[in-house]
This record gives sequence, structure tokens and C-alpha cells, in this order.
Amino acid sequence: MPISGTPMNFAFAGSGPARTNGRSVAVIGAGPSGLAAAGFLSCLGYQVDVYDKLPKPGGLMVFGIPAERIPAERIAQGVEILSGRYGVRFHPGTKICDRRQADDTGDELSTRCIDLDELVRGHDAVMLCTGSWKPRRLNIPGDDLKNVYTGLAFLFPIRAAQYDKSRMSSIDVAGKNVVVVGAGFSAIDVAHGALGQGAARVSLIYRRTRREAPCGTHEIEQFEAAGGQWLELVTPIRVVEGEGERLGQVAGIECIQCHLGEPDEDGRRSAVPDSCAKVVLPADIIVGAIGETAAPPFAERLGLESVRKNEIHWLQMTRMDGVFVAGDALTGPSKIGKAVYSGLRAAQSLSRWLTLRAMSRELEYREDAPIRREDLR
Amino acid sequence: MASDEKILFIDYARCIGCESCESACRFVHGRPRINMTRTVGGIMAPVYCRHCETAACVKGCTRGALMKSADGTVLLNPVLCAGCETKNCILACPFGGIFCTGLEDAVAKCDLCQHRRAMGMAPACVEICPCGAMHFVTREEAQALASPEYEAAHKKVMDHVRPVIVPLPRRQKG
Repeated sequence: MPISGTPMNFAFAGSGPARTNGRSVAVIGAGPSGLAAAGFLSCLGYQVDVYDKLPKPGGLMVFGIPAERIPAERIAQGVEILSGRYGVRFHPGTKICDRRQADDTGDELSTRCIDLDELVRGHDAVMLCTGSWKPRRLNIPGDDLKNVYTGLAFLFPIRAAQYDKSRMSSIDVAGKNVVVVGAGFSAIDVAHGALGQGAARVSLIYRRTRREAPCGTHEIEQFEAAGGQWLELVTPIRVVEGEGERLGQVAGIECIQCHLGEPDEDGRRSAVPDSCAKVVLPADIIVGAIGETAAPPFAERLGLESVRKNEIHWLQMTRMDGVFVAGDALTGPSKIGKAVYSGLRAAQSLSRWLTLRAMSRELEYREDAPIRREDLR
Repeated sequence: MASDEKILFIDYARCIGCESCESACRFVHGRPRINMTRTVGGIMAPVYCRHCETAACVKGCTRGALMKSADGTVLLNPVLCAGCETKNCILACPFGGIFCTGLEDAVAKCDLCQHRRAMGMAPACVEICPCGAMHFVTREEAQALASPEYEAAHKKVMDHVRPVIVPLPRRQKG
């Protein structure tokens, strides 16, 4: 399965760098939406600065998704074209800060902090593409015990350790009994990661059946072929704490049997817990890979809720003039493609805004069709 | 066969179904001409035009709106197409590569980014694919890329796009 001979090109919109237009844009976040926005803007001759909290650009394409799925060198190649050919300046390990913001996964790798206001003052416009990095917790008793992890907290160190060993340590699973909760791609990735790192036994537990699993039956078959255990129609209700030496640590996970009920709003049959059938699965490590939520900085100040509802007249512009938002930061967790599209559309909108404003022709702004819900499925 | 004819080849064994190709296509062309599908087994794969050497859609079109261009690309002439009531092309395509839009431009189909190629660029989807699963190659090169893993995944996707329908047993008369 050779990789395509056509290099990755985030600046695909044009055939090469344009003459500089004398304007500069800061992009916060070097994930799919940020890189797509940076690529589009650099095609139009903007000086683009890209800030990211991680030591390398790529976001979850590099730090969340395993290299077997997305080759890291292909993303690096796309970034190289942006910096080498288009003069995009990358500022890795730099977080745009807000003191009220709770820590997300990956914050430990940023070394520098820049204030949003400073960024707004220093550039003609700002694009916020910070993604979704806040893992959802299992929300059951005992989910704060030692050796209970979120999917991202488990996957992230495996990928990040190669960049900064001193500050990241992978979770040691060798010879251990690992239970992964969830059936999305990140749950599958966690399960394969644990098998690959020598776990004694890896079980995936899911409240519905494999037919409803977001990752699909094909992935589950491959996981089973690799030696994993698939358990369906069970939902965790409590993390069991160990005794004696293992006090405060995980000993197992108590699950309750489910059956399939009526279809819910997205058409999948829901899981209904049965009250009688309970079982405790022994476990040394539990990983809840049940997705992430977006926790963009300055959400209130930027009025992101109003942007989501399309209440701000200019497509994807926030309450702060000249600050735009795109990708998961706006829509919540989605697919790479949706983030790319959102980044491209926001970049286009940003460029129109700057151009019309420079000519005092903002009134000529033609309302763009907002990105509809079905576009962001 | 002209050996320098280039086509799109998507390695379904490498594709992760991220929809970047569909997004880039939507951004460049408004209506995407490549669309993500999900098989019952959960394989995500983009469905697209193969620019067949002998294209069933070209034969099927009663208006002559589909034509093979000099470089082998199957092109749609929207002026002749608009308003067609048969949708023969959609039915004829064995790969599900022509899409009904439900709008005045009745169908959408890939032209391998003709205007981009004229300006020296590759098709947009090929440039944005993060997995390196999309190849813009000659037919021979595409054949060489079709690994056993690809063939297996491709068969599952095609069984989904064009399911083999087993006819019901005839009802006995009388």
C-alpha cells in the first residue's frame, strides 16, 4: 500500500505563492482546520503565523491518530511546503492563554504563553482553530481512581513520547489486563495500542452490539483477529477499587447487562440497562475512550454560542472584530474532512472581510450560506 | 489505449474515511463529485468516477451530454444535461460515480479538476488526502497499486454500492 506520489498540500487552492498583500493573519492551532486555513490564506498572499501548543504541527492527525492510519511524514511534508514555499511561520509549543481555562490534554508540552489581545494587536485578523481536546469522563463512581485513563490521555503519550521523552511517559501496560470502554475509532486505536505494547489481555466493552458500533464490524473483526476480546451489551456502572496494596487503584470494573431498545434520535437502537445481571470484570487499567468535547479558550468572550447559531452576520466571525473560528472548536468533535472544510470557509470569509473593510465596502457583504448541520454530520 | 491517460485511484485499504477529499471537492466545486459512503460492515470509502475506457454512462446518456475527452477524462456537458428525466447515467455507472444533486444541475460528476489541471495543479482531493490514499496515476500504475488488501476492501464497497440482488423464487401459478 504505497503512499500517494502527490505531496500533501494544504495550499491546494492555488498553483503557487501569490505576491504578498501586506496583511498578516495569526492562526491558533495547527490541526486540520488551522492548516487548511493557513494554506488557503497563504495562497492569497497573506503572511501567516501558526501557533500550536504541541511541539509539532498536525494536531490530532499526528498526536491522536496512529501513524498506521495517517503517516506522520505526509503531514510533515504538507507543513514543510507551507513553511518553505509559502513562508508560513510556525510557532510550536506556544499556547494562547486564558487564565480561566482548565487544562487540556497536551498542555504539558507547551513552553510559551501568548495573550490573545497581544495576538489581535499584532495581526490584521486571527483564526481560532483549537480543536477538541477535553476528554469526556466515564462519569461513574471510581472514575478518579489511579489507572483510569481517558482515550486521549492513553494515546497521546504514545505519540508524544517520540518528541519529548523527558516530559511525557507512556502508560505501562505490559503484562496487564486492560479494559477499554467505547466502540469508536479512538477506542479501537487504544485497544490496538495496548495489544501492541504487550498487554496480557485487552477487552473492549460496548453498551450496544457490534452492528451499532461507530467503528464498524470490520474493525472489530480485525481487533479480535489480533487477539482482543470484544464484549457487547454491557455498560460500566462502577470502577472497583483494589484492597491492601492496591488501595486507591483499579481492581476491576462492574458492568450491567443491557438489551437493545427503540431507535434513538440518530436512528441507532439505544442500549437499555437491565437491573439484575451485573458482573465485575477484573482489570488493572481502564481506558474510557468515549470521545472528546471542545473547550475552546475565550468561548464566552468570543460569543462562540452565537457563532454556532449563526447569529453573527459575518460567516464564522466571532464577537471580536477580526477574530474568526473554525473546526472542532466551533462544532465540537467531528471528522478531519469537516474541520478542513470549516477552516477553508472561515479563511475565505476572513479574507473577504479584510478586503471589503480596507475599501470601506463592508455593506456589500453578501451573506454566505451558513455551513448547515447536515454538512457537519 | 493511450498510456498517458491519468485517472484517480483511491486505495481503499489505506483510506480511513476522514472525508477530506469530499470537503476539498465541495470547496472547489460547490457540489462534491466524490462522496463518502459507509458499508454495513462499517468500511468508510469515497465513491468516485473511474473515467472508464469504455464508459457505460457515455453510452447510456440519451442527450449526448457525457463525452470522453481527448485526454481520456469522462466529461459532463451541463448545457445538454440539465433537466434529464431518465438519469440513465446514474443507473449505468457500475461504480456509483455519478451523483444526483436534486438541483437544476441535475447530476454531479468528477472531471478530474479540469480547470486546476489546466493551471498545472493536481486534483484537489489528491492534494488534501492526509493518508496518501489518493493517487493521480496512469491506468497501468493504478493496476499495479491494486494490492490484495485493496481488492478485498474494494469488493466489499462495490457489494454495498451495487448489491447483488438474488431474485425471489417465482410464484407457482394456480
